[in-house]
Amino acid sequence: MATPSDAPPSSTDEKPQNPVSQVTQPTNDDRQDTKVEGVKESSPTSVFVNSEPIREEQVQNAVKFLSHPKVRGSPVMYRRSFLERKGLTKEEIDEAFRRVPDPTPAVATTQSVVTNQDGQIKSSSNGQQQPPAQVLQPTPVGPVGSSSKMGILSRFHWYRAVFAVGLLAVSGAGTAVLIKNAIVPRLKSWIRKVASEEDEEGPMKENNAKPNVAEEAAAAAKAAAAAAADVARASQEILITKSEEKRYFEELINLLNVQTNEMKSMSNAVQKLEGQSINGRITVEEQANQRVSRTSSRQPYTNGKADADSSSVRSLSPPAPVEPSAAPHPKSYMEIMAMIQRGEKPSNIREINDAPPNPNQPVSNPRLAPKPKPWESNQAQNSSLTTFQSQESSNGSNYGDNQLNGDDTLPWWQRKNVRITEIETADEQKFGSPNLPSNERPVQRSSWVPPQPPPVVMPEAAAAIRQPKKSSYLSDDQLLSQSTDVTDELQRITKISESGGAVDANGQISGLQSAELPQEENGSYLET
Amino acid sequence: MPVFKTPFNGYSVKFSPFYENQLAVATAQNFGILGNGRVHVLQLGPTVTERAAFDTADGVYDLCWSESHDSLIVAAIADGSLKIYDSSLPPAANPIRSLHEHARECHGVDFNSVRKDSFLSASWDDTVKLWTVDRPASVRTFKEHAYCVYSAAWNPRHADVFASASGDCTTRIWDVREPGSTMILPAHEFEILSCDWNKYDDCIIATASVDKSIKVWDVRNYRIPVAVLNGHGYAVRKVKFSPHRGSLMASCSYDMTVCLWDYMVEDALIGRYDHHTEFAVGVDMSVLVEGLLASTGWDELVYVWQHGTDPRAP
Repeated sequence: MATPSDAPPSSTDEKPQNPVSQVTQPTNDDRQDTKVEGVKESSPTSVFVNSEPIREEQVQNAVKFLSHPKVRGSPVMYRRSFLERKGLTKEEIDEAFRRVPDPTPAVATTQSVVTNQDGQIKSSSNGQQQPPAQVLQPTPVGPVGSSSKMGILSRFHWYRAVFAVGLLAVSGAGTAVLIKNAIVPRLKSWIRKVASEEDEEGPMKENNAKPNVAEEAAAAAKAAAAAAADVARASQEILITKSEEKRYFEELINLLNVQTNEMKSMSNAVQKLEGQSINGRITVEEQANQRVSRTSSRQPYTNGKADADSSSVRSLSPPAPVEPSAAPHPKSYMEIMAMIQRGEKPSNIREINDAPPNPNQPVSNPRLAPKPKPWESNQAQNSSLTTFQSQESSNGSNYGDNQLNGDDTLPWWQRKNVRITEIETADEQKFGSPNLPSNERPVQRSSWVPPQPPPVVMPEAAAAIRQPKKSSYLSDDQLLSQSTDVTDELQRITKISESGGAVDANGQISGLQSAELPQEENGSYLET
Repeated sequence: MPVFKTPFNGYSVKFSPFYENQLAVATAQNFGILGNGRVHVLQLGPTVTERAAFDTADGVYDLCWSESHDSLIVAAIADGSLKIYDSSLPPAANPIRSLHEHARECHGVDFNSVRKDSFLSASWDDTVKLWTVDRPASVRTFKEHAYCVYSAAWNPRHADVFASASGDCTTRIWDVREPGSTMILPAHEFEILSCDWNKYDDCIIATASVDKSIKVWDVRNYRIPVAVLNGHGYAVRKVKFSPHRGSLMASCSYDMTVCLWDYMVEDALIGRYDHHTEFAVGVDMSVLVEGLLASTGWDELVYVWQHGTDPRAP
């Protein structure tokens, strides 16, 4: 009966109540249990919504990323895009943004623990992004103050270092001067005083000894002062040499830049001469297809340009199979690009007014009713033949109308059919044996025979043809597929390890499922 | 097999969902960099003849047939507008509508095959817009991608679900009833140029990328692709699932070939056609005729052939 524990009846009960759940119809029985649970929540019921829970590790990685000072300077859109490309879901990204407040970086783990609890409470309410200040209020001010200072320090560290060195040098020099002027005379006078007192009282030996000690002390003090002065001078010299080094460095960098520019221009010239098109300017594939502005209208995005620049370095080396090397463009394409970049307009463009002459005229009525799609009538995969036949017979009249669409009596498909089979058998070609077994095509369409795929005359020949194909032509693909299998495995393993093994079970199971499916379902047209 | 030479470089080809022997071709002058465009409506027969041609001021990057009206075509224009043409009216009465809201080039357009009343436009201004034929303004704007959106594709079974492929290396799945995207698939490390749904398994989606591969994903378990199809020598420009066989798909690439794949099979590449002499940019599989393929490229040629035959054979 219709108890809540029964999966199918309960889902049908839910259907009229919740219009959103109609999207759950075509899912398999396996999914029905999760669907019921999904329907109980208010919003995500369809398969096309991410139903994974928030992964804490990913969120923390994202928080570290967002807290980085360099990232703070970039637009929010780029930060989101980066996290999305790393595989984080929307909820995880929103959570990370929530945890990272704007003014101060949340580096301290104590802070993150506190905000973690707040974040969890807030995320369960499924609200929009809240101002990050609310989350920070419960945290103590002390760590915030110190971390802010550290933040400032971490930003200007290079500038600060130079300043500190200068400060040290100046203070060293100052103390040296101080010692020379103030302390040493004082020491001397004190020593003389002591010496004179001793003179009055004691014997000569003591007098000799004391002034000796005093003299030694004075000499030591002088030496110390001199050493300090030397230190100050040395640090000053270090400063000077450092600034000189800086200058030399900058000169070196300038020279290198000049050299690289020259090299780039040389390579451009060489490539232009050779007529090739692996151009340093536009190498990423879609950048090449982007329009170049004549005056103002169409400029490639600046970030796109950055991509082009970064990949231009890559393209100078021989293209590796993994990297997307730019396809060589036709010569006239490069000519047109060059023309446009010079500011010229190609001469074959006409002025055309393509505005609608009568934008308010009502749309005419269609002459045909929409036809059902082949996948709409059947539920099972690959069993389209029988149902397609029945569809065809019911739509015979439509096809009859369709046929009189300016055609001759015998559609060109039929006429072509004979020649096609001849060509196919006579001309053993690059593609493997045509193996579509849909030869029992329906003939109920009025006078129209759908073009038959050429029949396999000799299966043994087809197989034999395929063998050398495999060895010569498709072997590369096999190698590629094998290597990609290996790389896929590696990717999968790294992904699993990255996600902390949480996806492991799912990944494994789905992998098994998808591997089993091919053998069972597609035995009809699987090639051997 | 019939071949048609277009005056401009081909960008997209689509079979009509109403007539087996009609197809429409989108072309742009000067490789689409700068120049005019033209929409051709072709009639297949012993030779290919042109039923109608519509000129545009700017290149046409993509087009789609209406699913509810047998002679309406929606074209995505490089100046950011969408133009609707009625091929039953003379060229002087066309276009019947011009919808201009995108700030940058319109690169992809797709018509809803379930509800048959609305269509999507994907643009280089990072947005996807939802339109209906009868309204002069867009119904929804979906703005989440961080870079150009190259293509959008409706789910063949769920009337409100669609996917978008973008240069920010992600594919997003949207539900028009929700304010934002419902899933984000970081499908590739490089720009994704095209995506398409499996017509027989509504949770399977294929993405084609600049990294020369096509990946097939199951949205229920989207961390790991179901299959990775390598074999193209350069970026894969378009991927299209077969309307007749669940795991069959066609793809065209800048390596000038059109390939057929079966991702359920160990050796997935089951056909390769290298009839084009420039980038192969558009490919389509007919819904009404099983196994019929059409392709176009920058070599200004449109080929229509049956799978298993040579496209260049007369």
